[in-house]
Amino acid sequence: MITHSDDGPDFEPDDPLAVILRPTSEYLGPPPGRFEAIRRGAARRKLLRAAAGAGLLCAVTALVALPVRLAAPDRPASPTVPLAPPPASSPPATSTPPPTPKPAESYATGTSPSAGPSTPTGRPADVPGSSPSSKPTRTEAPATLPSPTPTPTSKSHQPSVAGDAPEATPSSG
Amino acid sequence: MKRSREEAATELFAALYPRLAGWCRRLVDDDETAHEVASEAFTRLWARWTSVAEPRGFLYVTAANLVRDHWRKLERERRAVHRATVEAAVRPENEQADPSVRLLVQSLPERLRVPILLHYYADMPIREVSALTGRKEGTVKADLHAARELLRAHLRRSLDHTL
Repeated sequence: MITHSDDGPDFEPDDPLAVILRPTSEYLGPPPGRFEAIRRGAARRKLLRAAAGAGLLCAVTALVALPVRLAAPDRPASPTVPLAPPPASSPPATSTPPPTPKPAESYATGTSPSAGPSTPTGRPADVPGSSPSSKPTRTEAPATLPSPTPTPTSKSHQPSVAGDAPEATPSSG
Repeated sequence: MKRSREEAATELFAALYPRLAGWCRRLVDDDETAHEVASEAFTRLWARWTSVAEPRGFLYVTAANLVRDHWRKLERERRAVHRATVEAAVRPENEQADPSVRLLVQSLPERLRVPILLHYYADMPIREVSALTGRKEGTVKADLHAARELLRAHLRRSLDHTL
């Protein structure tokens, strides 16, 4: 091992350095399973290094991106954009406000504008008064039925119930 | 590709492990430590297998550094025990089997130790040592010469002490 021809004579054979720089005389064979253990350890270490590298990359990206994001100019406050102003031609405030403006509007356009508010106010007076002999009015009542049903307050104004009750009671006849 | 790499790793292990472990055995106290050092050197090599150009040199330099760390650790332990107890009681039971090789690794600065290790123990010609260390061939020769002179001086001193 120490007889490389290209570097000339290093030392004489009786040089004490020959003791130090002598080639390895003994060989130590690997214990069984050592190769696999080393391979596993190397693979694990490789994986760890890759994970650490990825984590570091994420951290650096976050560190770079966060200040950039925070330094961006504040946008005008526009969270109220979806809220539309109430329509000017909405039903008068005297009528009981429906839960959602949309059905009320469609209802108002479907029938005459005056019919909407008038039915709730007119019906209750009619129904109690014509309770025993209200056969013709009873036929009228279902026609107006669908309109108040969506509103929660229409239960008390339902003529069908009021109309049925007198008819069902024998005392009226 | 992966298969050929696996085969190369297996061949390298079969060719170099016994020799490297034997060299480590000359430097440390027992077989187990020698196996640990050699295994760690191989683990480090395979953990960065693709980026190591000269595995043989890498193994020897890594093993030499690990051995040096092992010595430092032993020295720290010895000092700690020495502080607590009488020095006579803590003398290491068995000195290094081959103190001359220990001298080689311990006394030389890294700049000189690496060419010596690669040239004399990893069996690399000066041309390869030059390529591996990034030094000119003339510089490597000069380093080897300086290292030998330093080792001679150390040897002379240790011989004078023993006489």
